[in-house]
Order: sequence, then C-alpha cells, then structure tokens
Amino acid sequence: MKSNPVKPASPERISRRIFLKKAIRTAGVAACAPMVFPRPAAGKKRTLKIGYLPITDATPLLVAYSLGYFSHEGLDVERPVMVRSWNVLSESFLTGKFDLVHMLFPIPVWMRFKQNIPATVLAWDHTNGSAVTVRADSGINGFADLSGKQVAVPSWYSMHNLVMQLGLQVQGLEPVIRPPGSNIAAHEVNLVTLPPPDMPQALLGKKVDAFIVADPFNALAQEKFSAKIMRYSGDIWKNHPCCVIVTNDHLIKESPITVQKAINAIVRAQSWCLQNPRETAHLLSKDGEGFLPVNESVLNRVFGSIPDKELTHPQWHVERIGFQPFPFPSATRFILEQMKKTKVEGNADFLTALDTQAAVSQLVDDRFVRKALDEMGGMKGFCHCDMKDEFTREEIVEIN
Amino acid sequence: MLKSINDNHPYRGVRSGVSLFFNRVWSGWKYELAGFFIFALSWIAVTQFIFTRPELYHFKGFLPGPTLAALADAFQNTKFWVSVFASLRRIVLGIAISASIGLPLGVLIGFFARLRKLTYSPIQFVRMISPLSWMPIALLLFASFESAVHFLIVMATICPIILNTAVGVMDINPQWIKMALNQGASNVQLIQTIVIPYSIPHMMTSIRFAMGIAWIVLVPAEFLGVSSGLGYLINDARDTMEYDKLMAVIIAIGILGFILDRVFQRMQHRYS
Repeated sequence: MKSNPVKPASPERISRRIFLKKAIRTAGVAACAPMVFPRPAAGKKRTLKIGYLPITDATPLLVAYSLGYFSHEGLDVERPVMVRSWNVLSESFLTGKFDLVHMLFPIPVWMRFKQNIPATVLAWDHTNGSAVTVRADSGINGFADLSGKQVAVPSWYSMHNLVMQLGLQVQGLEPVIRPPGSNIAAHEVNLVTLPPPDMPQALLGKKVDAFIVADPFNALAQEKFSAKIMRYSGDIWKNHPCCVIVTNDHLIKESPITVQKAINAIVRAQSWCLQNPRETAHLLSKDGEGFLPVNESVLNRVFGSIPDKELTHPQWHVERIGFQPFPFPSATRFILEQMKKTKVEGNADFLTALDTQAAVSQLVDDRFVRKALDEMGGMKGFCHCDMKDEFTREEIVEIN
Repeated sequence: MLKSINDNHPYRGVRSGVSLFFNRVWSGWKYELAGFFIFALSWIAVTQFIFTRPELYHFKGFLPGPTLAALADAFQNTKFWVSVFASLRRIVLGIAISASIGLPLGVLIGFFARLRKLTYSPIQFVRMISPLSWMPIALLLFASFESAVHFLIVMATICPIILNTAVGVMDINPQWIKMALNQGASNVQLIQTIVIPYSIPHMMTSIRFAMGIAWIVLVPAEFLGVSSGLGYLINDARDTMEYDKLMAVIIAIGILGFILDRVFQRMQHRYS
C-alpha cells in the first residue's frame, strides 16, 4: 500500500485519508467479488433446475430425471438438487435457484394468496404418501385416542396439518397450539411443528405421542423401532393429493414449451413408478442412485402395498404412495375450504377472504397436464375411473 | 495518534483469555495425550452409563464400539473422503475471504481511533446475529449454493477476525509508536513497519478462533443444496437415524479441526 509521503501542513491527516480510501476500495472489491462471480452468463441455453427434499414425495421428479425422460423431451436438466427443509426449498424457489419443485399443496396456496408470489400448480406430484405414526405400545388406535396428546406436524401449511385437524375435528376434539409444558384438557390435542427428520426421534424419546408426515419417515420409524402406523393418509381421504408440481409464472410465460415438455416427462415417470414399484425403491435408495439417503428396505415398505389388516377401508384399494397427475378441482376446493378451518400459527386472515372458486383457477394451471395425458391415452393408466368423465371425481373422506 | 492507542475503549475487554490462551506455547505433548485419554474415557463412561439403558437401545450408535466401527467404515468410503475435501475447501475458502477482508479492516480499526468509534456499533450489531439467519439472504445474493455456503462462513467468522486483529494492533507498545513518530514516520510507514509485523500473532489467533466457528456453521450451512460435505453426512445420518455414522462424522470433524489448528499453531509460532 503506497501512499504519498509529501508533508503539507497536516501530513498525518492527508496520508491517513489516502490510505483509508485505498484500503476501503480494496476491501470493497474483495467483499463484492463473490456476489459478482457466480451469476451465469446471460443468453446461454436455459437449463431446467429442479429442487427436492429427501422424501418419497419427490419420486416423479427424480425418476423422470434418472430415466432420462427430461432429456428425451429435449430438455437440458441438471441433476435435481436436494435441500433439507421446506424453508430452504421455498427460499431457493423464490430466489430462482429452482424452476421446478414439489411442494405440499398448502405451500403454493400460502405463497400465491398471502405473499403474492407468482407460484403456479401444474400437476399433482403423487397421491397419499403420508401416515399418522405412533409408538407400538401407546394404545392409540384412532383419532379419538389422541385426546390430551401431543402431535407433531411438519409445518402449519401442510397437508398433514390439514388432514390431522380434519380427523380431530370429526372426533369432536379441539386442536390447540400451546407452548410445551402447558396444560392440555381432555378434549384438546396440542399440535407442534417438527422438522420431519426429528420426528421419529421425538416419538421414540416420548416428546410427542404421534406424528403425521410424509414417507420415508413413517417407514423409518417402523423399520428402526417397530413404530405403529395409526392411519395411512390415503385411508382417511381416498387418493388425496399431497405434494404438487410447482413452477413460477415467468417460466410459463417465457417458455410454455419447456413447461409442457417437463410435465410430459413427469407424467411418464409417474406411470413408470406405478408399474415398477420395486425398481423405483431401488433407484431412489442409497443402494441405487442415492437420491434419498435411506436403504432400499425402507423404501420397499413405502412403494409396496399396504396389508389389508392395517387399513380401515380395504375396499378403497389405495396405495401407500400413489401416482396420478391430474389436479382434480374438487380436491383443490376441498383443500382451500379445509384450510380456512385449519388452525395455524401466525396470521391466516388471507384465507377467510379467499374466494375458493376463483382461487382454484388462479392457482392451478392444468393445460399442460391435460395435454400430456392426452398424448398418453388419457387417465386409464392412472385410475379405474369412469372414462366418460375422467377429469372429475368425488372426494371421499371418511374418518374413524 | 498516541491518544488513540492509549484510549480506554471498549474493545479492550475483548482482549480476553482467548487471545492469551491461544498465544501460549504448548510444549507438553504428555499433557496433550493425557488430556485426550481423559476425554476419551469420559466419553466412554458417559455413553456407557446413558446409552446402554434398554429404553435407549435405538441410540446405541453413540457408544464407542459402533462409532469406531462406523469410522473405520467411513475411512474406506470414497464418499467420506469427497466430503472431507468438500468441507475443508469450504472452510479454507470461507476463512480466506474472511481474512482478506477482516485482517486489513481489523488493522485499520485498531489503528485509527475514529474509525474504531465509527465501526463499534455496526460490528457489535452484526456479530450478535446468528450467521444462519443470513440463509435467505445468502440464497438471494448468490447464484450457486456453494457460494451461499461460503457467504455463511464469512458472515460467521469475519467479526472475530476483525476484533481480534484490532485488539492486536491496540496491544502494540505505545512507546514504539511514539519513537517512530518522533523520527517523522507517517501513518503508512507506521502501519507497514510496526503495526502489521507486531500484530501478526494476533491475526493468526483470530484465524484459529475463526476456524472453530466456521466448523460450527458448516453443518447447518450444508442444509443448503450441496451434495457432499461432513455437515451433509451428519444430516444424512440424522435423516436415517444412523447414530453410529453421526458420531463417526463428529469424531472426524474433531480430528480435522485439531489438525488444522495445529498447522496454524505451528505457523503462529514461526511468526512470533
């Protein structure tokens, strides 16, 4: 650091100033450098970036990538990037790190209608895929047995919170959100949020009496300490949506063809998963491509069928995790209506003012998935439904 | 100038035991070894006492036996070594960025009283913020996850580097400065010939100190979209309830941290 050694009237001050200026300039350049470097050069061919959490809800995205369905459509796709929490996934999506993600249905609802973030639901990612898990010796066999208990949900804006509170309300129980250690009356159930990876530990350590979460955490608890599934989520609400495929409006506007191709690949992957459950388990596990950190044996539970004796509605023939892409409006309406009745921490006033019918059409864009299904010969690969009216269905919810 | 050095300013309090502790020459390898054994024994004793209880059967991975087996396994696993280098790279790069900003800033802050007063409140403000609360900002500012991780490490380590360096500058014997001033030295000459050479040991201390903090932030920072790293492996182990692997990675981090610190200690002694 060279400076001017001239000695005017007040040498100290001047040289100090010059020195400082230079030093600050150097420090400033150093501080800014990492912000400038990583920006990708503009005008390059757009690669599609996919983000996911280490849960089986991510399956169609991972399979579509792994089997090369995206590249088959002519898309340039990076290996999907795993993050560890819904917060990080949402923040990365908001900041443009990901173009395509799977999200629990209530998250885009919250994003679009509370935060005014242009997030659009393109398709269902999967159906079912979650469960209420309890300790084997707990004596909890149904929602009624949860009275006075502590129950963990993964986040306030989750299908799990919604389904749990639905179950409790039907049994005449009151879901409450109180700090740990508070008194819980006999007709109340205290809800807490926990990150999914902490749920099995918390259950085992008796911090909570039950949790509701996506697999593989239920399967992991079954495998590791013989926890009991109190109810599979598909056994409560037949083939309910859980995670949905979300993108931002800019991508739809800027390149609808990219979106169409991505959805084609995802629908194809869903169909493959339905037909190849064991291969899917292997592919995702750390014995296969290592997309999820779990063993194949745990995933085989998730993709395998549920024994009839563990179901209260065996006649529904639901899978533990199912795949079906079409976003039935009846289900979206049901979710929005139910969200209005679901307790959450924080201000949820935006829901009360929400016009359900209008919200459904703003939130969900089913053009792409309709086209993809058309090209694959309609819905017959995904359900045993009435082909005349394949894009409507009745929501069946039964709690006992 | 003299006034600024002699000022009884608040940073003096920071000239904590930490500096002294890190600066002392440790030559007793026997004590180090004994300390290590006491530590290992207490680990064995505590885990034997807690994790052998039947209701904690599922946490038996924390016991020394399964942990060491998992560690031996890890040593033969390429993924582990890839993670070791990924994490080391993040730590070294993060601290290098931190040092390149923090060391000059620390020298200036230690040297110029006015700058010190000016930066006091912002530094005290920033240093109390958990580095992890910067996560959304990191994601917003940086295009890649890797640089976001570096940013988090920088945010965690820059304040201790600035403060420790400033303390080192303020610790310089005022007589030397007085003498240099009497002989007509300019500020730049002062900084070049006296301030920087004599605060190098403090700078090294600040970096050693920062390294510990960097490891602390690494595990949660690797929650972000990176695909390797020791923090990443810890998260993996938690996701799958494999506590032997978790403990093995903890021990690996301990060993690496010890080696890194020892390297810096050697360098520090060369300069002091």
